[in-house]
Amino acid sequence: MTDPYSVLGVSPSASDDEIKKAYRDLARKYHPDNYHDNPLADLAQEKMKEINEAYDQITKSRASGGSSTGGSSGYGYGYSGGSQQNYRNNTNYGGSAAFAQVREALNVGDIARAERLLNASSVRNAEWNYLMGNVYYQKGWLDEARNYYQRAVQMEPTNQVYRNALAYMSNGGYAYSPYGYQQRSGGIDACDICTALMCFNMCCR
Amino acid sequence: MFGYIRPLQGELKIREFEQFRSCYCSLCRELKDRYGITARFILNYDFVFLTMLLWEENEEYSCAKDKCPLHPIKGKCICRRTEATERCAGYSVILTYWKLRDSVADDGFFRSFPSRISSLLLKRAYKKAALKYPGFENAVRGGLEELTSLEKQNEPSMDKMADKFANILCAAAHDENETQQRIKRQLLYHMGRWIYILDAVNDIEEDDKRGNYNPLAVRYGLNGGKLDDETKNSLEITLKHSVNMIISAYELLPENCWKEIIRNIIYLGMPAVSDSVFDKSTARAGTDRREI
Repeated sequence: MTDPYSVLGVSPSASDDEIKKAYRDLARKYHPDNYHDNPLADLAQEKMKEINEAYDQITKSRASGGSSTGGSSGYGYGYSGGSQQNYRNNTNYGGSAAFAQVREALNVGDIARAERLLNASSVRNAEWNYLMGNVYYQKGWLDEARNYYQRAVQMEPTNQVYRNALAYMSNGGYAYSPYGYQQRSGGIDACDICTALMCFNMCCR
Repeated sequence: MFGYIRPLQGELKIREFEQFRSCYCSLCRELKDRYGITARFILNYDFVFLTMLLWEENEEYSCAKDKCPLHPIKGKCICRRTEATERCAGYSVILTYWKLRDSVADDGFFRSFPSRISSLLLKRAYKKAALKYPGFENAVRGGLEELTSLEKQNEPSMDKMADKFANILCAAAHDENETQQRIKRQLLYHMGRWIYILDAVNDIEEDDKRGNYNPLAVRYGLNGGKLDDETKNSLEITLKHSVNMIISAYELLPENCWKEIIRNIIYLGMPAVSDSVFDKSTARAGTDRREI
């Protein structure tokens, strides 16, 4: 088993606060929201799992060794819980049975199959457009993806899942930005991102 | 050729700046030693980034001072050559050669004259590099051929065009570890997409003047080689999204000795370059085509 301290990038003599900070930074970096529908989401999820396990292991061993002042396991910043389901959940919104196979293909990352199935379908409703948007997003065709999401919203303006997908595109996605590397342009600040992500999370549960 | 992938210099430490330069010098040296004197003039910053990305995880940084024709007295720090520098030198020869051939085919006889001469001068170097990296050579030739034929059909999808170019960059990914190879391919895909679209922004006015194909003009139905505010906004967002994809891919890779400079480039350098290209193409009045 790998050393939990090296997973968090701290020395074994680090203070509880230093460990907490290292954990928070890494959890922020690999947060599911940064890898929403990303083709590399599975790798980010693995990283997140490693980090959570390492943090749990350290806090547990420190609590039992008496070196910690009341640090308990499961501190987890709420990341350890629902994070797994958060990946790729864009396609698990309880859509129609007609596209069950497409959603299945998207969930296992078989983009080519999802695209074939969609092209073969005679139905071209809002959901079709939404799923096609998802296919294009994973291929990296971001402009086309946005067009499909937009069509889905136009056809079914009340669907919050479609609206969220479009809003995500209109923002240019999210990624981790370390301290001192804040992005200047785009006119969004941390508060906007937080609010948007909170809304996003609520809709996805 | 492109040269859009560069650090935001003001935010680099002096040590980092020197390391970046030493990598450039090392590539230049690699080109001269392997591909001859003419080859060293093709070097640009994009390949320095590629070298840093493909640099082996366990290879430490080191450099040595040496003289060169451009700096005959004081000399320059030249970073140690590894498999990554060798590979990127070869890749740059192949890509430059095909870009030159491409403009020979596209432009008229007189306008293509410089490209024709340069490609002739580069031909021997190209043959050598193509023999060494046949996979990359195939990807470049095939990708540019597809682009040319799509241009002739006046392809309306900007993403489809960008995809062809992005796949060329994808082919430059090289890592023995399967997972890391997957990450690098994803990173380079979006870097290729970003370069292609940004270059189209840069060229929009000239393409309009010459009546050449421009993917943005077709996608957004633009006339007169000018970007309106709405189009500009939409392009900036989609480019930012690709940068975010690059960042999220990079953060999954193990770090190597170039991590600070790579982070500077993707977090700060690319957005800054994008801003300056957009400023230029919206503010530009005449035929100002200075280097960014």
